[in-house]
Amino acid sequence: MSELRFEDVTVRFGRTTAVDRVSLTVPAGTVVGLVGESGSGKSTLARAAVGLAHPESGSITLGGSPVPHRGARRPLQMVFQDPYSSLDPRMTIGDSIAEALPRDVDGVRGRRARREEVARLLELVHLEPHRARDLPARLSGGQRQRVALARALAGRPDVVIADEITSALDVSIQGAVLNLVRELQAELGLSMLFISHNLAVVRYVASRVAVMQGGRIVEEGPTAQVLGAPGHDYTRELLAAAPGRKPA
Amino acid sequence: MARDDTRARRWRAVLLTPVGLTAAVLLVAVAALAVLGPVLWGTSADAVDTGDVLAGPSPEHWAGTDNLGRDILARTLVATRLSMVLAVCAIVVAVSAGILLGAAPYLLGGRAGRLVAAGVNVAVAFPGLLLALFFAVVFGVGATGAVLAVGLAGAPVFARLTQTLVAQVAGRDYVSAARVAGVGRVRILLRHVLPNIAEPLVVNATIGAGSALLAFAGLSFLGLGVQSPAYDWGRLLYDGIGALYVNPAAALAPGVAVLLAGLAFNLFGESVAKGFGVPVLVGTPQPRVRRESTAVAADVASASEGGDDEAAADVVLEVRDLEVAFVTAGGTVRPVREVSFDVRRGEAVGVVGESGSGKSLTALAVSRLVGEDGSVRARRLRFLGHDLAAADSPAQRRMLGTSLAMVFQDPMTSFNPTRRIGRQLAEVATEHQGLGRADALARAVDRLDAVRIPDAGRRVRQYPHEFSGGMRQRAMIGMGLMGTPALVVADEPTTALDVTVQKQVLELLADVRAADDVALLLISHDVTVVAEVCDRVLVMYAGRIVEDLPASGLATRAQHPYTRALVAAVPHMDTDLDRPLATIPGRPVDPAEVPAGCAYAARCPLATARCRAEDPPLEQAADGSRVACWHAGEPLPDPVVRPADELVEAP
Repeated sequence: MSELRFEDVTVRFGRTTAVDRVSLTVPAGTVVGLVGESGSGKSTLARAAVGLAHPESGSITLGGSPVPHRGARRPLQMVFQDPYSSLDPRMTIGDSIAEALPRDVDGVRGRRARREEVARLLELVHLEPHRARDLPARLSGGQRQRVALARALAGRPDVVIADEITSALDVSIQGAVLNLVRELQAELGLSMLFISHNLAVVRYVASRVAVMQGGRIVEEGPTAQVLGAPGHDYTRELLAAAPGRKPA
Repeated sequence: MARDDTRARRWRAVLLTPVGLTAAVLLVAVAALAVLGPVLWGTSADAVDTGDVLAGPSPEHWAGTDNLGRDILARTLVATRLSMVLAVCAIVVAVSAGILLGAAPYLLGGRAGRLVAAGVNVAVAFPGLLLALFFAVVFGVGATGAVLAVGLAGAPVFARLTQTLVAQVAGRDYVSAARVAGVGRVRILLRHVLPNIAEPLVVNATIGAGSALLAFAGLSFLGLGVQSPAYDWGRLLYDGIGALYVNPAAALAPGVAVLLAGLAFNLFGESVAKGFGVPVLVGTPQPRVRRESTAVAADVASASEGGDDEAAADVVLEVRDLEVAFVTAGGTVRPVREVSFDVRRGEAVGVVGESGSGKSLTALAVSRLVGEDGSVRARRLRFLGHDLAAADSPAQRRMLGTSLAMVFQDPMTSFNPTRRIGRQLAEVATEHQGLGRADALARAVDRLDAVRIPDAGRRVRQYPHEFSGGMRQRAMIGMGLMGTPALVVADEPTTALDVTVQKQVLELLADVRAADDVALLLISHDVTVVAEVCDRVLVMYAGRIVEDLPASGLATRAQHPYTRALVAAVPHMDTDLDRPLATIPGRPVDPAEVPAGCAYAARCPLATARCRAEDPPLEQAADGSRVACWHAGEPLPDPVVRPADELVEAP
């Protein structure tokens, strides 16, 4: 496990600056929450880390060296928001997971070994191994999101980026996915950048929180401190807007 | 497999249309002729009879004979094989070259990719036949040259199509996910992209085969295609034209053959494209949507009976035994059943439930917006004393248009993007209140001002895309306020918005209510939002109301195990961080497969044999709240972590 570090990262699309000189560290073995409204640059920062967006300046490093965007081993993995579009509808979930398995790493060679590895990953996210033969259409939203998590874990990542992974799910299913995230973190010591617009969700899974506004990080610190005694006006505004906080 | 079922159903649907069936039969006939033609008529087609050259139609030779006395009908039938083989070869060349060129921008990326794309765009601008002629001259006279010529001439169109389709699929998350997982571009193209664009490509190739057939006939007719002694339809046409005044049938027979075969390909491709609709690239997220689109029946009926329990004077909306049904291939589905509730003047009623619980359909039924394919029945469905189930009349439309306001989830799609906001608001007033254009626009400005849109006078002249999401949602509420609404129906009005904007919209709804005593029916999946905004909450499960209670009692006084689980499953700012969140095992009931007994029994920790056998009625308690459960209020077992419980989520 190694830490993910953004240093002075700037991403521009045309004339708009989506991410503006952001520095952020995800220490090894911790879950860092990233909150802010849509358009604040949260997702762009995540996409830049995995190579889906190109930073204009700054550096993104993993354990001190640049994040590799080529080659078989990808130590940084991402789980996407919409479990309905993040799995290929024509591929069985077993194949989708197997595709992300690194080739010739850690003895996962040969068809049989790969199948066993897929079964192990499915069990890790509480799905029965025989579901590997199912197409995504046979799965519920929550199950799909767990498959997406299993696929991310297949690459034996050092850090996983979760981009709004519960916001497309029904509340009854969201709880199960959040429990799973906490469980995986405790069991595997996973480091995670957990992006969400829902403060209560971030509070539940993350030990540190960064607040983003207009492409910049305006506040960062331990969750209890940031949410308990916010130092920035925008954080206070977010907290005040969170539903369920009506003064009795 | 669900996917195979849909596919089989679509094929059936294609073949059941008259055009689809005719085209399919024609295509099969042409294919059979291509296989059998030379076997059956090969000898008679080549039988030279010098005593009977250039004869007109006769009982022996229905279409006459050519300059060597060979039977023209037999030759036309035999020529089917060569004509078809050439057309299919040409289309294979066109599609292959098209896929290579169309996928190149994705594979190459950057400058080289843009260069290829630009080249394809230029090539598409040239007329196909001109390109075919050009290539025919380049590749020389003969069948091979003609195949290459027609094939390459068709390539730009397929390249363009592939390019568009690839760009569409390449933008999807599963392709991004594969890239992040370290899968190479070529592998992504072969495993993820091409399989997902195959359907539209095949359909277009079928249509293209028809055009290729025509192009061949053209080339051969010009003498550039097939050369003697081989012959295809074009060649026969070319020979027949020479003798047109002697024997018109000699040119007519191959002409009709080209026409029929071309039609078969074109119509078949068209009807498949129509039957399959937009290429099926992703799974259908919500079963309800699919069901609506496949439903066929179209009746909006009412069984309005005279009335027991006459409504109190301050009731704005009165709903008794509302049912929404859709007729599907698998039978009648009732996503909303036995729904009864009242909304009083100024009251805010929330409806919560999971997706598929029927909450949105209930709102649509109240607003008379259930599509033509659904049928809405109710023992009573009255709004301000008017029977909503009665036939549509101008007076009723006016009443609904001014007294009932609707706010939808997606502020992007609830306005017409090509018209100015002010005009769209003013339309309500000109349509329903008989105001002039200027007065209506003045009222629009006033209303936008009322929903706190700054600088409303300038904003009315702007288009929807110039508004932010939250502002558009406020404008939507403003549109509802053009009349004097007694009820605002809001279906997930803040789901697409950020928390800070959500707060503003919810506050605005609260202000609107307070100012004019307007009632609110708020549909939401978010229990916390409903608890904050509403006076009363209806909890829906599998199309029924399972609990009706004051919003203030959600956290403490809920009786139904589903309501309690729903409240406990949502993390809030004071959730205990040391315990796992409560989860609801299993998954929501599919409206097409509602079980006997209580629909929630399979997921309920309190369920007993009675629950699985008898559906509990919605009983009213002394304090006015209602609950449908045989074990209402019984203590729930301690919410232990059930590590394997989600395993039973059967699809």
